[in-house]
Amino acid sequence: MPELRRDPVIGRWIIIAQERGKRPTDFLIEESKVKGGFCPLCPGNEKTTPDEVLVYGREWGHPNTEGWKLRVVPNKYPALIIEGNLDKQGEGLYDRMNGIGAHEVIIESPNHEDRFSHLPPQSMLLTFRAYRDRIRDLSKDARFNYVVIFKNFGKAAGASLEHSHSQLVALPILPRMITAELEGSLSYFRYKDRCIFCDIIRQETQQKVRLVCENDRFVTVTPFAPRSPFEMWVMPRFHSSSYADQDEDSLIALAGIFSETLRRLDTCIPHVPYNFVLHTQPLRSGPLEHYHWHFEIVPKLTSIAGFEWGTGFYINPMPPEETCSYLREITL
Amino acid sequence: MEKKRILLVDDEESIQLLYREEFEDEGYAIDSAYNGIEALAKFRENPPDLVLLDINMPGMNGIEVLHQMKEFRSDVPIILNSAYHEYKQDFGTWASEAYIVKSANTDELKAMVRKHLA
Repeated sequence: MPELRRDPVIGRWIIIAQERGKRPTDFLIEESKVKGGFCPLCPGNEKTTPDEVLVYGREWGHPNTEGWKLRVVPNKYPALIIEGNLDKQGEGLYDRMNGIGAHEVIIESPNHEDRFSHLPPQSMLLTFRAYRDRIRDLSKDARFNYVVIFKNFGKAAGASLEHSHSQLVALPILPRMITAELEGSLSYFRYKDRCIFCDIIRQETQQKVRLVCENDRFVTVTPFAPRSPFEMWVMPRFHSSSYADQDEDSLIALAGIFSETLRRLDTCIPHVPYNFVLHTQPLRSGPLEHYHWHFEIVPKLTSIAGFEWGTGFYINPMPPEETCSYLREITL
Repeated sequence: MEKKRILLVDDEESIQLLYREEFEDEGYAIDSAYNGIEALAKFRENPPDLVLLDINMPGMNGIEVLHQMKEFRSDVPIILNSAYHEYKQDFGTWASEAYIVKSANTDELKAMVRKHLA
């Protein structure tokens, strides 16, 4: 019998339409071959990218040259542009504004063949440090209200390039997903005087039916109402609403659990395409008692079609308790 | 003074006719290619001063043509000119000097050509 489940934070419903006996090996993912050829993100091609805004690992030498371990560059053909003033206009009941924003690419490794899930934690740490440092820098720009950071891995998840990278978009407005999380968590806080994410972590670490892995600072769980099989959330154990406030020790622990989480996923379903997205507080909201930053990792294993567009529901063929047990049983 | 030469790569005859007229009026000499293979052959035989390159073409995709041209001669400016905005998400397009979405108004495209041929 299918089951409807409600996400406790934003109230989104999903349908668990369990297919009896479905196993991770039933998801056939074709390994995409590394094509090679010209890559604008590879060392030696720095001149084909816009000037870097952040670099780690280049001890000497000129900007935009080789010898780096991680670079952040503006997107050459950005979705939103950085120059200009915000111009908000009304047209009757409709609102519009010009497309001001920042669109950057985080080049996670100099090696074209490296895969993020296989980077050692100390290399992954550079990526998480770059996320933090770019949010801190962009928060100085009064035009921006929110920074969304995401990674697309694999063609099905929207990645157009093999070289390991993630992206950042600074927005003048709050995305609807974040607004829904802020409102949902505030409503819970007003009712119970507790952070809903802290309560989720407390319950999941006690029950352990959806707890994939943990360390002293972070937990990874399969959420109660996941949109996709093997969806996972990586959350700090201790309450914090701002990713930008994380210290080095926290980022080291994050790199550790993220590395373990992605390796578990990749071992369970080799070469699985996925997206991950950082959810954090708005840039100038100050610390929030009701909100809790976290990463959401969503493998691209199901398709979104008419039913999902029409209802906002997702149909998921595997319950999270089952996917969690597969993920947990992996020996790394 | 010898006219600057533009290699115009597009499989659509209407675009070839429109751009030929517009850019010849601007004082440039136009050479046409209707697909990637023909474009690469002309580029290698006699490299132009600039390439205007469509992306969505039968056979070889414009991004692949771009990479092969850049491997052969990286100093020739190449402007991608597609009706589709979506290809901007493909980082392979970064090898080009500019990416202009096709429009009935060619002012932006002409300004970019002028900039790179100045």
